[in-house]
Amino acid sequence: MRSVLSIHNISKSYGPVQALKGVSFDVPEGSVFGILGPNGSGKTTLLGTVLDVLKADAGTYSWLGGMQVDKARAQIGSLLETPNFYHYLSAMDNLEIAAAIKQRGKEDRLRVLKIVNLLERKDSKFQTYSLGMKQRLAIGAALLGGPKVLVFDEPTNGLDPAGIAEIRDLIRLLNQEGITIIMASHLLDEVEKVCTHVAILKKGDLLLSGAVDDVLVSEDQIELKANDMNLLQHTLQNMPGIRKTNINNGYLQLSCEGNIQTAQVNEYCIQNGIILSHLLLKKKSLETKFMELTNEQSN
Amino acid sequence: MRSLLAIEWLKVKRYSTFWILILFYVVLLPLWNYGINSGVMRMGTKDINILNSAYTFNNVWENIGWWAGIFVVFISILTIIISTNEYQFRTNRQNVIDGWSRLEFYHAKWLMVLALAILTTIYVFIVGICFGFANGGEFPGNISKLFYIFVLSFNYYSFSLLLSIFFKRSGITIGMLFLYCMIIESMLKSLINWKISDNVGNYLPLQCSDELLPFTLIDMVKQMMKLSTAPPAWSYVLASFAWITLYYFIGRRKLMRSDW
Repeated sequence: MRSVLSIHNISKSYGPVQALKGVSFDVPEGSVFGILGPNGSGKTTLLGTVLDVLKADAGTYSWLGGMQVDKARAQIGSLLETPNFYHYLSAMDNLEIAAAIKQRGKEDRLRVLKIVNLLERKDSKFQTYSLGMKQRLAIGAALLGGPKVLVFDEPTNGLDPAGIAEIRDLIRLLNQEGITIIMASHLLDEVEKVCTHVAILKKGDLLLSGAVDDVLVSEDQIELKANDMNLLQHTLQNMPGIRKTNINNGYLQLSCEGNIQTAQVNEYCIQNGIILSHLLLKKKSLETKFMELTNEQSN
Repeated sequence: MRSLLAIEWLKVKRYSTFWILILFYVVLLPLWNYGINSGVMRMGTKDINILNSAYTFNNVWENIGWWAGIFVVFISILTIIISTNEYQFRTNRQNVIDGWSRLEFYHAKWLMVLALAILTTIYVFIVGICFGFANGGEFPGNISKLFYIFVLSFNYYSFSLLLSIFFKRSGITIGMLFLYCMIIESMLKSLINWKISDNVGNYLPLQCSDELLPFTLIDMVKQMMKLSTAPPAWSYVLASFAWITLYYFIGRRKLMRSDW
C-alpha cells in the first residue's frame, strides 16, 4: 500500500523538554490512522511539525509521495489543536478565506456547513459560537474542497455525546469514500472504535505502531493456583501456546495465545499430575493494555 | 501576488475596527488642517497663528504632509491590530495549515502594508488638491513631497508589522511603538547627535523618515537663520528604504525559523 505520510526520525524539543524523540512511521493510504497517547505525549507537536507550523530539530517527513509540501497541505484538510478562525467574521466569511487559501471555489461552503450541521448559524459571527460549534466549524473547514487526507487533532474535543457519535460516523463515512484520516487522540475508546491503524506515543517516544488488530490485541490471562506453585509454573512454562508465566499475589498468571482455553490448561495440569485449586479466565480490557503500555517505560 | 492581497482584503473588509481606524484618519486629517486653515485652532496671540502657514499650492504639501505624518499613527495601530490578530486567533497557523507557505503569509502582510502606504499617499494627494484649489497658488507646487509621505508611511507601517511579529499581542506592541517613537528614539537621536556628530542621529529607523517632512515653521526659521546644515533629502529617502529592507529580512528570518 502507498503511504500518504512518511515520518522519518523526527525529534523536537522545547528547551530542556524533549517532546519528540526520533519518531518514525508511515501512514498507509486509505487507513484511519490513530495517534494515541496520554496528554503531553507529543501528538500535537508531531502533527504541528508535519503541517509546518512547528519546526523539527531533526528528521524529515513527506506527504503524498513527496509532493511539494505547501501544495500538499492545500490538499489536506486539517484541524490542529484548537479551531482557528477570525472571531469577528461569520462562518461563511471564514470559510471563504480558507477556501481561497486552498485555491478552491467558495461554492463548497454550504455543503460542508450542512455536513457539520451549522447551516442555520452560517451567518453568525464565530465569536458567538459555542465550543462544540467552533469545533464543528473547524471540521467543516477541513472538509472544504474534498481533500484526500484529513488530519484531526482531538476532533471530539468539546462535543457532547451525540456530537461525538456524529463525528465518529462521519469519520467512518469519509473513510469509506477513500479518504485517509489521521487522528490524534488520548481516548483509547475513540481510536479503538474507528481506527484501522495506530501509533502509540509516550513522552515523545513511539512505543509501537501498526494495524490496530496487531497492536491492540486484547490478550486474555488465566489465573491459577495449586499446592506447589513452583512446580505449577515449571510445568506450564513448557506447555505449547503459553507466552509468559508470572506469580503474582500467590496466583500464577498465564499470558497465552488466543486459542488456548481454560479446559486445555486444566487437562494439561492433570496430565502432569497437578491438581488445581483455582482456575479463572480474566479478560483484559484494552484500557488496561493501554495503561500498561504507557506506564511501562516510566517504571 | 494579487491573490495574497485579495485574501488579506477578505480578512478585513467586514472588520469594524479596520473601518473605524481608517475613518479616524480620513476624517481627522482634513478636519485638523481645516481647523488650522480657518483659524479655529491657533497658537499665538491676536492675529499671529504660528500653526498657520499658507495652504496655497506653494506650501500645501509640506503643511499637510507634516500633519499626515503625525496621523499615520492611526494606520500604524491598524497595522498592528491586523497583524497581532493573526497570533491571537492563531489564524497564522491556520493559513499555513490550509496551504500557504510561511513566506506567502509574510508577503501577504507586506503587500497589505504597501497597499496602506499607497492609499495613504493617494489620500493626502486628494486632501492637498482640495486645500490647494481652495487657497490658490500654482498647481502642483512641491508635489514631490507626496513621495516623502509614501516613504514615511511605508516606514511606519512596516516597522509596526515587524514589532507585531516580535511582540505578538496588540496591547504590548502598540505600547512598544509609542515608547519607541516618542521616547526611545528622541533620546537616542539627541544622544547620538551630541556624542558622535550632528545629524547622525537623524538616520535612526523612524527619524530618517520624519526628517523628510519637518514642521514647516521650524524648518523656515532654520533656513532663514542659515542654521540648516541638513543633509540632502535623498540621503533620508535612501536611509528609510535601507531600514525598510532590514525590517523585511529580520521579520522574515524570525518567521522562517521559529515555531508558530
